[in-house]
Parts: sequence; structure tokens; C-alpha cells
Amino acid sequence: MKPPRFDYHAPTSLDEALSLLGRYGGDAKLLAGGQSLMPLLNFRLSRPAALIDLNRIPALAYIKEADGQVRFGAMTRQRAVEFSPVVQARLPLLQEATRWVGHLPIRTRGTIGGSIAHADPSAEYPAVLAALEGQVVVRGPRGERTLRPEQLFRTYLTTSLEADEILTEVRLPGMPAGAGYAFEEFARRHGDFAIIGIAAMVIVEGRRCRTARLATAGAGPVPVRLRAAEEILEKDGLGDAAIDAAAQSAGELVGPDSDIHASADYRRHLTRVLTARALRRALARAGGR
Amino acid sequence: MIGAPLRRREDLRFLTGQARYVADLEVPRMLHAAFLRSPHAHARLVGIDAAPARSAPGVAACLTGEELHRHVRPLRAPSRMKDYRPTDFPALALGKVRHAGEAVAAVVAESRYAAEDALDLIEVEYAPLPAVAEAPAAMAEGSPLVHEDAGSNVLLSRAFAQGDVETAFRGAAAVVGDRFRFHRHAGVAIENRACLADFDAGRGALTLWTSTQIPGIVRDALAELLALPAQSVRVVAPDVGGGFGVKTVLYPEEIAVAVLARRLGQPVKWVGDRREDLLSSTQAWDEIIDAELALDAEGAIRGLRARVVADVGAYSIYPWTASIEVIQVVSFLPGPYRVPHYRAEAFGVATNKAPMGPYRGVGRPVAVFVMEALLDRAARRLGLDPLEVRRRNVIRSGELPYRSPSGIVWDSGSFAECLERAAEVAGYAGLRQEQERARAAGRRLGIGLGSYVELTGVGSAIPVSPGADIATGTEGATVRMEPGGGVTAIFGLACHGQGHETALAQVVAAELGVKVDDVRVLQGDTGLSPHGTGTYASRSAVLGGGAAILAARAVRDKALAIAAHQLEASAGDLEIAAGVIGVRGVPDRALTLAQVTAAAYAGTKRLPKGMEPGLEATRFYDPYLGTASNATHLAVVEVDPSTCAVRVLRYVVVEDCGRIINPLIVEGQAIGGVVQGIGAALLEELVYAADGQLLTATLMDYLVPTAGDVPAIEVHHVERPSPTTLGGFKGVGEGGTIGAPAAVANAVADALAPLGIEITELPVTGERLFRLLAARR
Repeated sequence: MKPPRFDYHAPTSLDEALSLLGRYGGDAKLLAGGQSLMPLLNFRLSRPAALIDLNRIPALAYIKEADGQVRFGAMTRQRAVEFSPVVQARLPLLQEATRWVGHLPIRTRGTIGGSIAHADPSAEYPAVLAALEGQVVVRGPRGERTLRPEQLFRTYLTTSLEADEILTEVRLPGMPAGAGYAFEEFARRHGDFAIIGIAAMVIVEGRRCRTARLATAGAGPVPVRLRAAEEILEKDGLGDAAIDAAAQSAGELVGPDSDIHASADYRRHLTRVLTARALRRALARAGGR
Repeated sequence: MIGAPLRRREDLRFLTGQARYVADLEVPRMLHAAFLRSPHAHARLVGIDAAPARSAPGVAACLTGEELHRHVRPLRAPSRMKDYRPTDFPALALGKVRHAGEAVAAVVAESRYAAEDALDLIEVEYAPLPAVAEAPAAMAEGSPLVHEDAGSNVLLSRAFAQGDVETAFRGAAAVVGDRFRFHRHAGVAIENRACLADFDAGRGALTLWTSTQIPGIVRDALAELLALPAQSVRVVAPDVGGGFGVKTVLYPEEIAVAVLARRLGQPVKWVGDRREDLLSSTQAWDEIIDAELALDAEGAIRGLRARVVADVGAYSIYPWTASIEVIQVVSFLPGPYRVPHYRAEAFGVATNKAPMGPYRGVGRPVAVFVMEALLDRAARRLGLDPLEVRRRNVIRSGELPYRSPSGIVWDSGSFAECLERAAEVAGYAGLRQEQERARAAGRRLGIGLGSYVELTGVGSAIPVSPGADIATGTEGATVRMEPGGGVTAIFGLACHGQGHETALAQVVAAELGVKVDDVRVLQGDTGLSPHGTGTYASRSAVLGGGAAILAARAVRDKALAIAAHQLEASAGDLEIAAGVIGVRGVPDRALTLAQVTAAAYAGTKRLPKGMEPGLEATRFYDPYLGTASNATHLAVVEVDPSTCAVRVLRYVVVEDCGRIINPLIVEGQAIGGVVQGIGAALLEELVYAADGQLLTATLMDYLVPTAGDVPAIEVHHVERPSPTTLGGFKGVGEGGTIGAPAAVANAVADALAPLGIEITELPVTGERLFRLLAARR
């Protein structure tokens, strides 16, 4: 279990990294936290000509607030996200989801940008990005562009990034004060990739649900935003019947695959169960801040 | 000293990264091997072109099966069993491949990287054959054969009967039964298999360092295979990071690196990676059990019948053969219960999967799961509490020794006492009330019991693997006093986590009257130790402990004789304590063991007339029959019927391993075993596709329990010294794994009993529970 030979570069600036990426013309891999890439290399499932290590670019690791958003440098460690006061105050859903990401040693190395760019549909961060309608910033030789989740995620482990582009920043709109939220996940063991995960946020106004956001992990080739389920809640509120109807709808909206850990039927069932649980927990938290 | 809860002395080096495993060993001029492994489960080898690999940078050699087997014959595990078909196990595939992951060729290069690069260059032409994926299909007429020479995929079968089962069933008030399925399991030692061979051409001697439990067996078998005298082969098991039975087998890689090192004149090392481990190490269980239990109206067992089909994979392993697991299922099925009439048959069936071998518990986890599930069903059928039905059938101490219907004699034990004690410490009645309250609140709690008795410390009367043609009934120990009064104790045993360096030092120290810290234990090195086979089958406390007592006693007697001579006292008036020999009641007449040892090595002048100099002894111990070890496990689980998650809330073990040498080690063994049993019950499963591909070849897919998946495990002891072994010790290494699958499975079934759900298949994963619940919705 040793990788084939590859060149190794450790640039110290983003421009240098981009220029290296261009030089290899698509045959290089970016090394962020390495928690998924290193096994792929060791299994020889990925055989790039070069690794471009982003870990020595300090300018890519930050958490800051701007224009009502929280902006994360792509190389921000999951552990930094987990303990950031800014995240705690402005993005409690992201903080809760982070606790489901692997285990402590994994979060110490893993990065927010790496997790999203890797586009594993069972991962927690892509679901949060979808639920909160965040964006990613991508830099390449043709300049900078921002992508919404539905523009970014194509299918399993595949994004719309070009081979010469680098995901540099993740932008998540700060959650409104009083928003209720919950991240529910079922994995066979804590720390495993989700069988199903549900990211939920609700904004309650009196008896109305002004905004509902629901997105999945593990329920298909990309994170699924459950718009029809959200609409039920925005129309009918957050009573038991509406939550059950939204959960039912969630199960119909997803098209999960079967694998050795869970059949499509079981995943669909879990989507319903966890959607209802997430909504009830989010409702209990709503307005309480 | 015996019975003291001493912390394990070896743990400091394990916990501080100072242990030395095979992967840590460096020998000058050492090369690295990598193995090309078959991507097919079953295929004819049409041709192999190794030339491009041979000319790759850094490559010293590339060997195919045909080339290797010009130097060494394929392995063959003999058996005395009547219905056993012996088959060849080539170290590198010959003619065809029989499971995905089977080694096809070996590359030796200056680094593992270079070796793996060269593997990519080997061109193999395979002609795929239909895979034999499941045992029932493999038994059917016309199935493709895994071994054409054998003429059948059924490599072994055995049937036996005790009493009149038909009559017992005909007159029964209740018959419960089902088809049970226990899926394939992996051992998953932290340290993967690894070996390093060095052939000293000048001396004509081979040294093999290998991560094994059986250095003695590997030595004897390698010497024979390589046509070297046994004294010219030294096998060393250095620190070994777990074995669980998986490392009790002579493996193809061990043979291949030995041949390669000899041919190349350079040391060759292979360190298996996790993928290789999951693909090619021996696997466990994989059985289909049809079993029925007949009871009378009072809940007393009248009879038991069973048919067990085991999927033994592609090869019959050396030395245990393909019979190791399945025969033990039927041997141990009656458990610690009175079963007057019993009939069973067992089949070991070859398929295109990795070979099946011994794994912690061997047969007994499956047997106990089935028997205990049958008892719970009987309780439900007869309207009895599960504890009550066991009380009515468990063998009482007054009935011991007891001959089980499969012919095993239980010399001693505390079957009923462990059952009652488990109920008492767990607060069984209170748990039932709590279960009722939880049920009223919409929560599903379940309580499960699992009791077993097993045979440990088996001596020469019985083979540890049915029919296996190998002697495993004895162990030797050398105890030597060293200048200064310290002690070296050398064993043919090996250690892969059992704490021998502490426990055996306690035994020697107690016998010799020295401090535990003054005893150094050496083991796992055939060049150093008296003859022995290794550590497996819960034997080391009994056989190693017994040999230690005999050897230490001989040294002690001699030391006393020397001291008596010097002190001009009678040996009978002397006593040893803390390294000092004194005359009882005369405090100023004493000698230290250091002084006695100096005299012993100084020679005849200072010794009693006619006494041989020196102060060491080697003794062998054979417990002959072996001794029974038993326990009751109790699990409390909660099932979430919405997510199908199972959480183990509480776990109680009450065990009897005889006289306890070190309770911390016993508890550690019980806890570790239970964790593996919980894994077997809920998580761990090797999944093969219909074409024989392993779908769980990483630890992301093969799931072992983590600390978060198990509760604190409460271990209690009922200490009944064995009447038949020296020291009164019984084996305890495997017990945790034997009781746990049954207890957890019964707890899950108990939680779901109101829904009419029974558990027949382990592991009971979320997916399986989902399907069971969906069928009831």
C-alpha cells in the first residue's frame, strides 16, 4: 500500500500553487488535509504526476466576517471551525455538523475547503453548504468565480472545478438571530461517513415558518436540497402534521443508492426519520437566542 | 503474588512506542517483498510474464508460483478425520487462483515502493472460472470445484448421535428451532501480518522473524518444507500486536520470504498492509446452522439436533485444517446444559473466499449464539422467564465431572453459580421492571443472557483442532537463576497481548520466593526456548503456568539443597522469601539467592557431594485432558426502531477461570473479548459479492467497534480452582468473545419480542433490523 512515484511541491503562495497546477495540465492533485487523498494514493486509485501541498500557504487559513457572511479560507482546519467563536455565534449549524466529521485526529488535519472540493456526498460540509445557500470561491488562470452548491457538485467525488482551478474560500451567510437549527446524522459508528445526514434550519415568525432549509448527506450522488419539503413547512408551519408531511416529502425527494451499509429503502426511511427529528430539534431551538 | 492485580510490565514499552515489531526490525542488506494478488476469485492461470517486473529499477527478483514451487512443495494440512479430503495450499498460486487476494507472484526490491511499482508491470493472463461463492451451492451436485483433485467441495464432514433424538422430539411439549446464520468475520489485529527471513549461507541456517502466535509450529513446518534440520531454523515472534487466532497459521508469505531469502542470499522482509490482511488472512465463522431444541412442559431440555454447514473458503489451513471451526460448533452446542439426546452433523465446504481459520472462541461463539437463542425462544413459547428456563437446565456443581453429549468431559466449573451471580449483580428483576417502564414510555429495552462452558488448556489426550495431525498437548519452560539472584524464565509460548511477561513472572516468583520484578520472561524464540508450539486455544496460563511451576520448583529444590549444605541445616527447615533463604525460626542464619547462585555456578567444591553444578531446570507440562472454563454474560440494549440503531447500555460478565494469576489481566481479556463479541453481534461482517469479490477490504467498510460503541464492561469472578491442572489455572483468553454475540443477540431479540421479531442472523446490522421491522410494519 505505497503510492506510485509523484513530484511533490509545497508552494507558499496561492499564485505559486496556481502556476504549478497549470504546469501539470490537470495531472496534479492538491493536498489539503489529506484525509481522503492519502488513502486514494496508497491504494493506487489515484496516480497523479504531482502533489501540490497547500499546507504551507498561510493566507489560505482564516475565518472572518464580511457582508453578513462568514468566510473561511479553504485550508481552515475542521478543528478550527469547531472551536471558532465566530462560527459558534453566526453558524451554529456548521458547528454542530463539524462534531460529526470523523474523529478528533481527522478534524485536526481535515480542512473545510478540502472536504467540500472532495465532494463526497456523505460528508457533512457539503450538506451544510447546500442548506445555508453558501458559495465557494474558485481561483484559476482565468481569474476568480463564485459557485453555488448546485453549480459546484456534479456527482460522486466530482465538482465543476476545472483542473487548473483551486477552491480558495467558502462563504456561508450568517444565520439570522433566532434561527432554529439541527444537524442529525445516522452512521453505523460515530465518526463514520453518514448513512444519512440532515442539515436543517428554520426561521419562525409567530406561528409561521418564514424560512425552512433542509439538505441531505448520503442520500444520492450530491447533497440534496429538499425544497418541496421546505415549501410544506413555509406554507403550513411547524406543527406535527406539517413536520410529518415534510419528512414524508423528504423521503420522496431523495434518490439514494444501495451499498453494503444500507439499502436505498433504508436510506429513504432514515431520510424521513432524521428530517422529522432535525425539524423538531430546530423548532425547539428557534427564537431562543 | 498469584492473584495480585499487578500492572503489566510490558505495557510501558507498548504505550511509549518502544515495542519492537517485525516492521521495526532492520537487518543489513535487507530487501522488501510485495505480493501480486489475484483480482479474480476463481480463474485459471494461463500465463505470467514477469520479465518487465524483473528489469524494473531496484528489483532483485520476481517469482511466480511455478518457480517458487520448484524449491518447495505446496503445503498440505493432514488430518486423522475419517471424512476429510486433504488439499494443497501453494504459497504462490499454481495453475489457478482460488480466491480474490491470493498471492500469485512475489517481487523483491530495494524498497517496498519499488516492489509495488514492479507489481504493476507483471502481466498475468487469467481465464476466469465461475466463482463458488456460497457453501450451499458449493455442496450441490454439479457445482464447479475449488479443488478438482478433491473431487468435491465438501472437504470434511462428521456426524454423531447420543441417545435417541427422534423419540425425545416426538414426546416434546415444545420444539423450537430455526435456520441461523453467522456471517464471516475478520480478526483485525492492530499489527498486520509481517515476516523477515535471513538465511545465513555460511551456517546453513535460517532465521525467520514473524508476527505469529505459533513460532514452534512454524519452525517445525518450515524446517520440513525447506528440508533443513529443525536445529538450523530459528523462528522468532518479537512483539506481536494482536493475533486473535488469525496468526496461528503457517502462511504463504512466510514460506515465500524464506525461500526468497535463501535463494537471493539477502534478508527479505514483507510487512502486510491492511488490505492484504483483510483479503488474505484467515477469516472466521461463516456458518449456516439448522438447529432445533425439544423441551418438556416444565421447560427441561429433552433433545437437541443440528446441522451445520461452514464455508471454509479456498484452502485447508496448516496445521488446523478446514475442520477447526465447524466441528467445534457441534461439539460445544449443548453448552453448560443437560442435553440427554443430541444429534449433529457438520460439513466444511470449500468456496472461492479467503481460507477460514481459528478466531478467538473458535466455533463456540456460534454454538452459544444458537443454543442461547433456542433457550430464549423456548422460554417465550413456554411462558417462562429466560433466566428460569436456564435455571431448570443448567448443570449443577454436584453433577460434575459431567460428560457432555458430544463426549467432552467438564472436569469442574460453576455454571449455575455464574448464572445466578450474573442475575444478582445485574439486578435482573429490577432490569425486567425497568424494561416494562421503558416499554410503557415507548422505548425498547432488551435483556440478553449468554452462558458457555469451554475446554481450555488442552493436553495431549485431545487435539485442539479435531483431527489435526499435530501435537499440541505440552509446553516447556526453562527457569534459570542468574548471577545476582535474578531469574530468567524461558517459554516456548508466544505472546500477542496476553501479558505473559507479568503473569508468568508472578507464577515463577511465587514458586521460587523471589520478587516478581526479579523474574524476566523470554518467549517466542525457538532458538532460545525449550520445545513448545505457541499461544492459542486459551492454553498459556495452564500449560505455560504448569511448566513454569515444575521448572521453578526444581530450581527451588536445588537452591534449598545448596543452602542446606552451606548453612548446615536440613532442607526441610529452610524457607525462601524475597530472595533470601533462611532457617525457619533462626533469623541470623540465612543466605541470599545471589549467594546460593554463586555457589551453584562456582562448582563442585561448594556444592553437596555429587550435585551437578548450575542452577536451572527445564520441565515440560502436559495437562492431558484440559479443563473447563465457564461464564455467564448479560447484556442490556436499547433498540431504536426508527433508525434501527442498537446501543449496548450495560454489560456484565461473571466468569470462572479457576485460580486467578492476575485479575487485571483476566479482566482485560474479558473486556477485549466482549468488545470483539459485540462487534460480531452488531457490526463486523466480511461481505463477498456473488462473483467472490471482497466488498469490505478496508476498515471504512469492515467496521470494528470503537470505544464509543461499547459500554463500561463489568467483570466479576467466581474463582473455582481447576482440580485437574497444576496451579488450578483455567484458560480465559477467548471467553469474552464466546459469550458476547449470544448475550447481545438475545437482548436485541428480547427488545423486539413484542413485535414478534426473532434474531437469526448476525451481525444484526441496521439494514437487517430495518428489513425485519419493515416486514412487521
